[in-house]
Amino acid sequence: MSFLNSLKKTATGSNLQLVRNYAFKSDLKIKWVRPEKIPCFYPEKSGDLSKLTPISGTETSLDFKDSRELNTADEDVKALFSLNYQPRFKTSDSYRDQMIRTVQRHELDLGSMEVKLAKMTATIRRFQEHMENYPRDKKIKVELKELIDKRKKFLKYLRRWDYKRFEWVLEKLNLCYKPPPPKYHWITRKESLVKLTDIHCDDLKTSKLENYKESLKNQQIEFLERKVRNLQFIRKEQIACNVPVTVSEEDISRENARIEVLKKERAEVETSQETNLD
Amino acid sequence: MSSRMLLGTVVPCLKQNATKVRVRRMELDTNLNMYFKKDEFYMTHDPSKICKTGDVVLIKKLKEQFNRELTHKLTKVVYPMGDITCPLTGKKVVVGQYRDQIEAKTKLFGKSKSAFNYEQAPARGRLEGTQDFTHGETYIKYHEDGKPQPFAV
Repeated sequence: MSFLNSLKKTATGSNLQLVRNYAFKSDLKIKWVRPEKIPCFYPEKSGDLSKLTPISGTETSLDFKDSRELNTADEDVKALFSLNYQPRFKTSDSYRDQMIRTVQRHELDLGSMEVKLAKMTATIRRFQEHMENYPRDKKIKVELKELIDKRKKFLKYLRRWDYKRFEWVLEKLNLCYKPPPPKYHWITRKESLVKLTDIHCDDLKTSKLENYKESLKNQQIEFLERKVRNLQFIRKEQIACNVPVTVSEEDISRENARIEVLKKERAEVETSQETNLD
Repeated sequence: MSSRMLLGTVVPCLKQNATKVRVRRMELDTNLNMYFKKDEFYMTHDPSKICKTGDVVLIKKLKEQFNRELTHKLTKVVYPMGDITCPLTGKKVVVGQYRDQIEAKTKLFGKSKSAFNYEQAPARGRLEGTQDFTHGETYIKYHEDGKPQPFAV
């Protein structure tokens, strides 16, 4: 640029600057901070507001819960059938069972929308735990992503079918539902700055309007007092000149009442400000 | 034309006293001889904010506009979102079944205590802003300023 400027200077013999008009550059000092990328399977993105409650591991696994033989068995045998000594998926199963039981319509209900959502939620939370420990597990990651999307889709359907049940499910499973944005796009510096500038302009406009309103409000009492004086003068003149009287006593008293109300309001505001300062 | 009623669906809008209504029509493209969707949006006066996103509503043009933005007023919520009443029988419907049918089915199996109860369910909209963000339009987060951005995705 400086080289070009010097060239131009020599060519034209004047101090003309080359204007750089191909890139957006704002005079406003708006600082843009690019938001940090959060992977889509993290709880803050997937909408899971709570984690699974940790299991102590001493419970019997689901398959042997109702076993009569196990009830009368040795302590060591019981321990062998507890979740600690069973494969990992048994713990997942028990989690899933727990979650399903909170929303089931009846004991045999395994296919209603609530149950489907509970099942998915248990799996998702289990997978999220897994991803914390093994962040490079691609297979689980893909499955988790797909499951989160599916749950979101099902929540969308449930909302359309039965809004009250949708809210109830959100509360029971402690989920958060955000609809998809109308448009997916890359986050760019230019676009973000344009949006931030728009917000800045709106803020400016509202603050200026508010200031103007405030200044008008401050003049209100003064204006009304002048109005009362003028009305009284007009009334007096009309009576004195024997012309039909257009200003009644009521009009004047009404304005006086307005002034009193305003004065009271102002006094209240002042006292509240003083207490705040103290 | 001002007396005509328009049927539309409510779209997310965070303004107070107003709802945005989308009226969708099919427009003929004479070149392709095909119909295409055409949306028109109307800002509707709704002082108590009865409408929620997705409701099917009837609107009418205001006789006297008191605001530059608001052009229409709400006459009726025809179908509230997710709480449909069958127009023929007057019963409540969920997708393809009546609510009492579903209820009877669950009773046969023995309804569990923790199950959802439609009669006792509170009015919709209580989770707005905490767990349910469908009342506003979401956007992709583009800026980090430390303030909470509930509608950022």
